[in-house]
Amino acid sequence: MPDTLSLLDRLRIERVVWVLDQRLYDLPRKTRIAKRREVRENLQVAAADVGVGHALRNLGNTHRLAAEYRAAEFGDDPRPAWLAAAVFLLTAQLFFTAFLAEAANAFGAGIKAANPAATGTFTWSGLGYVQDTVTYSFVNGQGSSVGGAWTPFAWVLWAVATICVGRLWRVASLWRRRQAAVTQTS
Amino acid sequence: MAPRDPQLLKGIVSLLLLQLLAERESYGYEVVQRLHETGLTDVLEGTVYPALSRLEREGRVSARLVSSHAGPARKYYRPTAAGYEALASGAASWASLTAVVTSVLNRPVPAQPIEGN
Repeated sequence: MPDTLSLLDRLRIERVVWVLDQRLYDLPRKTRIAKRREVRENLQVAAADVGVGHALRNLGNTHRLAAEYRAAEFGDDPRPAWLAAAVFLLTAQLFFTAFLAEAANAFGAGIKAANPAATGTFTWSGLGYVQDTVTYSFVNGQGSSVGGAWTPFAWVLWAVATICVGRLWRVASLWRRRQAAVTQTS
Repeated sequence: MAPRDPQLLKGIVSLLLLQLLAERESYGYEVVQRLHETGLTDVLEGTVYPALSRLEREGRVSARLVSSHAGPARKYYRPTAAGYEALASGAASWASLTAVVTSVLNRPVPAQPIEGN
């Protein structure tokens, strides 16, 4: 019975349950919670029956199990990876913006290193294709900058990379299949 | 006992699950144990749980939560009307397939294949 499980056994089960849960993020929230509860309950009964190690081994690889659950929920056809697309969309924006800001800062730092009392306007064309022109205005070594934003090409690159990472081209075929299913049902 | 091809088993897991659930309403781990009792010890939990989910999504089984004195509520499955229909047609297809396959496999195998033209 599950009451006989030690704290360590329960923690081992919880670890697997939550790893699986993370891999089921594409499922609707309610379904994912139901799966999590069911797997936990079954694992606890199995662990009380055959031992936690054996129960976890019989459950198999959580990656494969999650893939089977997703296939059970959405069907076997290829699907877009919404979560991967969203994570890439945000993190790429964050890191690339920080990278371009650092590049612009390096240009400003270079001017100050060359002449600590620099005065005048200095322009850098930015990183090729992906960054707008950066202009620094210095007065007695104190500078401020404008520009350095993403170019339209960088935005296009970002959008294309998001589509590739999330396999978002599959949305069109998914939509067509759903429409066909609706037509067939009606 | 000769080892079984997992791919061969995977194709008929749903049918076996429908049969077992038609015999007795069960929860996930219980179904696995019942499969093992029949001799199908190589069908593991990781195969059965998603198969039950798939059957539920297809409307072939329904589930209800039953409170358990030993822990959280358990999800018991039973076939729906569509599940009984799928079981009947699946069993008929399986019987027809095994009849053909058995008749082919029971033919004597010559020492050398007959040469083609």
